[in-house]
Amino acid sequence: MAPATGDAARLPGRLATRRGSRVEALLGDRRPPAALLAAGVVVGLAALLPAAYLLVLVVGDAAAALDAALSSRTAGVLARTLALTAAVTAGAIAIALPLGWLTVRTDLPARRLWATLCTLPLVIPSYVGAYLLIAALGPSGMLQDALGVERLPSIYGFAGAWLALTLFTYPLVLIPVRATLRRIDPQLEDAARAMGRRPAATFASVVVPQLWPALAAGGLLVALYVLSDFGAVSIMRFDSFTREIYTTYRSSFDRTGAAGLGAVLVVLMLALLWVSSRIRGARAVHRLGPGTIKPATPYALGRWRWPAIGLCGAVVTISLVLPVGVLVYWANKGISSGSVSVATVAALGGNSLIVAAAAAAIGAVCALVVAILAGRFPSPVSRALERFSHAGYALPGIVVALALVFFATRAVPVLYQTLAMLVFALTVHYLPLATGPIGASLAQVSPRVEEAARVLGRTPLEVFRTITVPLVRGGVLAGSALIFLHAVKELPATLLLAPIGFETLATDIWNQTQFGFYEASAIPALVLLAIAAPPLYLLSERGTVSA
Amino acid sequence: MLALCIAASALLAACGFDSSGSDSGPDEPEMEGITLYSGRIAAAVGGAVDAHEAEVDRDVRVRFGDTADLAATLVEEGDASPADAFFAGEPGAMPAVAEAGLLTKLPDDILELVPPRYRDPEGRWIGVTGRVRTLAYSSDLDRSELPRSPLELTDPEWEGRVGWGPPTASLHEYVTALRLRYGDDVARDWLEGMVANGAVDYPNNVAIRDAIANGEIDAGLINHYYVAQAVAAEGDDYPVELYYPPEGLGSLVLSTDVGVLEASDRKQEAFDFVRSLLSPSSQEFFTVSSKEYPLARDAEPDPSLDVPLEQIPAPGGALFDVAELQATIEMMQEAGAL
Amino acid sequence: MSADAIALRLRGLEKRFGTVRAVAGLDLDIAAGSICALLGPSGCGKTTALRLIAGLERPDAGRIAIGDTVVCDATTFVAPERRRIGMVFQDYALFPHLDVAANVGYGLGRRPDRDRVAEALALVGLEHEGGRPVHQLSGGQQQRVALARALAPTPEIVLLDEPFSNLDAGLRERIRGEVVEILRSAGVTALFVTHDQAEALSIAERVAVVRAGTIEQVGTPEEIYSRPASRWVAGFLGEIEVVPGTSDGRRIVCELGSLAAESGVDGDVDVMVRPESVAIGLTGPQNAAEGEVTGRQFYGHDQLVELRLASGRTIRSRRLGFPAWHPGDRVRVWFDGPADVIPRQAGVEHAAERRREPVG
Repeated sequence: MAPATGDAARLPGRLATRRGSRVEALLGDRRPPAALLAAGVVVGLAALLPAAYLLVLVVGDAAAALDAALSSRTAGVLARTLALTAAVTAGAIAIALPLGWLTVRTDLPARRLWATLCTLPLVIPSYVGAYLLIAALGPSGMLQDALGVERLPSIYGFAGAWLALTLFTYPLVLIPVRATLRRIDPQLEDAARAMGRRPAATFASVVVPQLWPALAAGGLLVALYVLSDFGAVSIMRFDSFTREIYTTYRSSFDRTGAAGLGAVLVVLMLALLWVSSRIRGARAVHRLGPGTIKPATPYALGRWRWPAIGLCGAVVTISLVLPVGVLVYWANKGISSGSVSVATVAALGGNSLIVAAAAAAIGAVCALVVAILAGRFPSPVSRALERFSHAGYALPGIVVALALVFFATRAVPVLYQTLAMLVFALTVHYLPLATGPIGASLAQVSPRVEEAARVLGRTPLEVFRTITVPLVRGGVLAGSALIFLHAVKELPATLLLAPIGFETLATDIWNQTQFGFYEASAIPALVLLAIAAPPLYLLSERGTVSA
Repeated sequence: MLALCIAASALLAACGFDSSGSDSGPDEPEMEGITLYSGRIAAAVGGAVDAHEAEVDRDVRVRFGDTADLAATLVEEGDASPADAFFAGEPGAMPAVAEAGLLTKLPDDILELVPPRYRDPEGRWIGVTGRVRTLAYSSDLDRSELPRSPLELTDPEWEGRVGWGPPTASLHEYVTALRLRYGDDVARDWLEGMVANGAVDYPNNVAIRDAIANGEIDAGLINHYYVAQAVAAEGDDYPVELYYPPEGLGSLVLSTDVGVLEASDRKQEAFDFVRSLLSPSSQEFFTVSSKEYPLARDAEPDPSLDVPLEQIPAPGGALFDVAELQATIEMMQEAGAL
Repeated sequence: MSADAIALRLRGLEKRFGTVRAVAGLDLDIAAGSICALLGPSGCGKTTALRLIAGLERPDAGRIAIGDTVVCDATTFVAPERRRIGMVFQDYALFPHLDVAANVGYGLGRRPDRDRVAEALALVGLEHEGGRPVHQLSGGQQQRVALARALAPTPEIVLLDEPFSNLDAGLRERIRGEVVEILRSAGVTALFVTHDQAEALSIAERVAVVRAGTIEQVGTPEEIYSRPASRWVAGFLGEIEVVPGTSDGRRIVCELGSLAAESGVDGDVDVMVRPESVAIGLTGPQNAAEGEVTGRQFYGHDQLVELRLASGRTIRSRRLGFPAWHPGDRVRVWFDGPADVIPRQAGVEHAAERRREPVG
């Protein structure tokens, strides 16, 4: 540091000691405003609560926890689960890439409709989806009846779990892929095509590399979802890691052992995060070139039009039409048997809506805080906060719920079992869903644009309001829509943390299916779909920056 | 617009908005009563709860959830738990909660309401209804074909024809009882035999029953009342029937239990609630609605249940030990059943 | 502001990023109404200096005054939005969600004065494009919008960061000229940053050559080109040839001829001369050197001729394209243009240098 002598005057606010340089090292070259940093720290710590809970339990009886975590059985289950995770992620990408390209870059007829339909499967809760797949494709299922076949090949196990998870999570990759495709500068592709590259080669060599960040972000969400999912794998009878955790704490009532296994999940999640951020590469994703891009001319499909429509149709049929068809069938039976009350369903729908909307709004704001810190004020601290914010998603909902039970009863009992606590739990659990789209759309906004606004005479807050917010609005909407979709169908945390008497569509479905009242569960499930459709439309349309 | 959303939800949340959309009974009483954590869904306990509410003119606030999740919640909540009573829908949970020291001893008059084999030896919880672990079979089968003991289901003639529910708590209890009666080796052999014989896994008892009805499997280890309910709903020609194997722990009584939390400050009201669950009218409700066995002394089971409860073995003592349960889980995992 | 007022004054600016000293003691004065350039290689700190002036970075030390106001020193820091500065970024940084008029009017407040917006647009020749979304404009048009946007609030000084580097080479010259016209007619003080010597020399009234965070030389384009303060500056601004010579205080004598000595120069010196000042011909003045053409590159309007002098030294000459010289031609070589002299450094080779040193 320069000494304070002669003409070289020192500015205030810089600590002229070694300690100062360490603070600088932590907070980076640019210091974020104190309020923003404080908000980011709050978000990061809140997201860490479930992991902290696990830590408390593990530390309480380290030997038992390690025993559970490091047993050979655990290793086997872990391997199986990782295999499923990899397979589902690959499958989701394999579906999302062509669908994304078809609905953004080609002249596929009714593109927007296809886009919305292809994104809708995200709404279907995994346990409902698995049920429906079995009802349709399983032994003594509808397809078997329809085809008149004696016995279809068994859908249970790895195959069924893979199908159930891939079909209903691929939209998590589709959404960022479409958003990125809309913002990629088509000049690169035009150049490649002008040089004689065929479209497939152009796509592979020019477009796909630019899609890596989107694939990494979406793939990460899919992988984390698979890790933490319980509904689909248990119905499909696949022995996954979460099933181990569930068995340990539910059948053996062994909290410590379960916490040990949960800690393994957290480690897995950190590893996945690391892989994903490496794939995403350097921080500067925003375009450095001058000006704004022109939208691309659509690629003419020609005789490939019908196969393309066929592909979209096939995916939509299996992952949307089929499940919805089964639901409608059951709903019909339910209505004709008179076991459903419209008023009740409406009240339930309202509850689901309130909770999910609140979690979505707050979650989007939190994700924006974290994204701004990580994007505009990069430093070890802000990067750490961004990583922490993912902590709540990799763990099963029940762990998040129990963690909050643990902390709420000790720290803020007055808030225990209030709506505020439930919304808090859902926000913590689903926050990472928003950090992806919001982070991506913030990265698309060059810091120069914000600086230009500053120099033109606006305060930082005004710049944020007039420039940053409109430009990230698409990402914020996409992020909140994603949180909304997941929060609206969430089950275990709602059961435990909602105020007594507060029922949602999801808890009602669960209630009905406990004893096999499938018909009665169909109407709430359909209402769930209806509620989720508008945010989905938003996602598929506006999941991009409006240029 | 975003700001409005946040403000609205913050306001909403702060008010601790509480809607009781699920209570479908007659006018709710005004005064607040006890808080119940129930692992049994509304359809299964609603009648009994409503009856109690009417009797004491207080509103019972019920949190419905999964039994094991609720038990875990109680453990986490500890002293700060808002619950006054816990109604477990599956075995195994209540002893775990009791071992964590969360339950208070019930008064003797309550304990006397059921025979000793249906309650905690230390008086911390008491059984309300009973379900029998037994064998369900497809009507296509002749009764003479059925095994005299579940241990015979590992025979080659039953390969791929039997279903069971490894994740269910009731199977865990059954295996524990098997271990305690016949020893670990017999139990392990049976488990490994079932796995080797292609026993089909199902996530819960409902799925087993439906699978038998659909012809997927011929028989299954199940709780009796699922079949009884289906028969009551669909009629006597429902293609699944019950059979109580006479030998080798062919059947077993498991109870749904209720206990009062030590942390509760409404203990007397909670005791009243327990008494009401064991009253003749409530016991009759359980009998009629869910076809379970009433455990209160002198209560009559539903006529459709033809085997008297006294003839069926009931666990006791060590079966309630959580450590035994954990050992069972381990054994099942090692055998490849879980 | 009077014509000889100082619009911008920098004193002792320092800025570190981690362990890197991007700006290491920068002093500069810029007269009001003039167009100045900060010229230097990539990474020399010129863009950082610009950002310090704009207030987008805080210096570690130093003082910045804009007009009569001190905007940055040990005790004050005026935020960028209050500095009355206009800035044109290298990638224009237009607001993609606003149309052209909204972009231009952004700096004029919440409800910009329509007339002023129209005036600014007219200044850059885009009167009829106000309603267009910015992504529909060409690169050159976008740059003009950026300029109009910066000029609209009548700033005290306009900063331009490599404003022409993103334009197609063919357009560059024309647009340079247009932009300079616009700046002059707006009467505004302008400071632009570039790594392109030709650009700086052709546009600016005064050029400051920046190297490793400090200013090596300030002067008019002619001054710094023909009388570079150091070998490095000379090499950066163009090709140089270095010929050893001796000086006796009155004249400097070297292989290519002699020139009047500047006072105080005595002893061995290096003479730095541009290839375009090296003349060749079949005959030459009396003290011209003998040489032979060893190579030639033809560029259309000029040619670069490589020569070997009788002494064995190699040298290059840049002449008009005609008459053509060919390898093997025997010629006379002398200098016929400005040359500069620096005392010879002991132990340094006198090879022709065009080495640009990277900045660490």
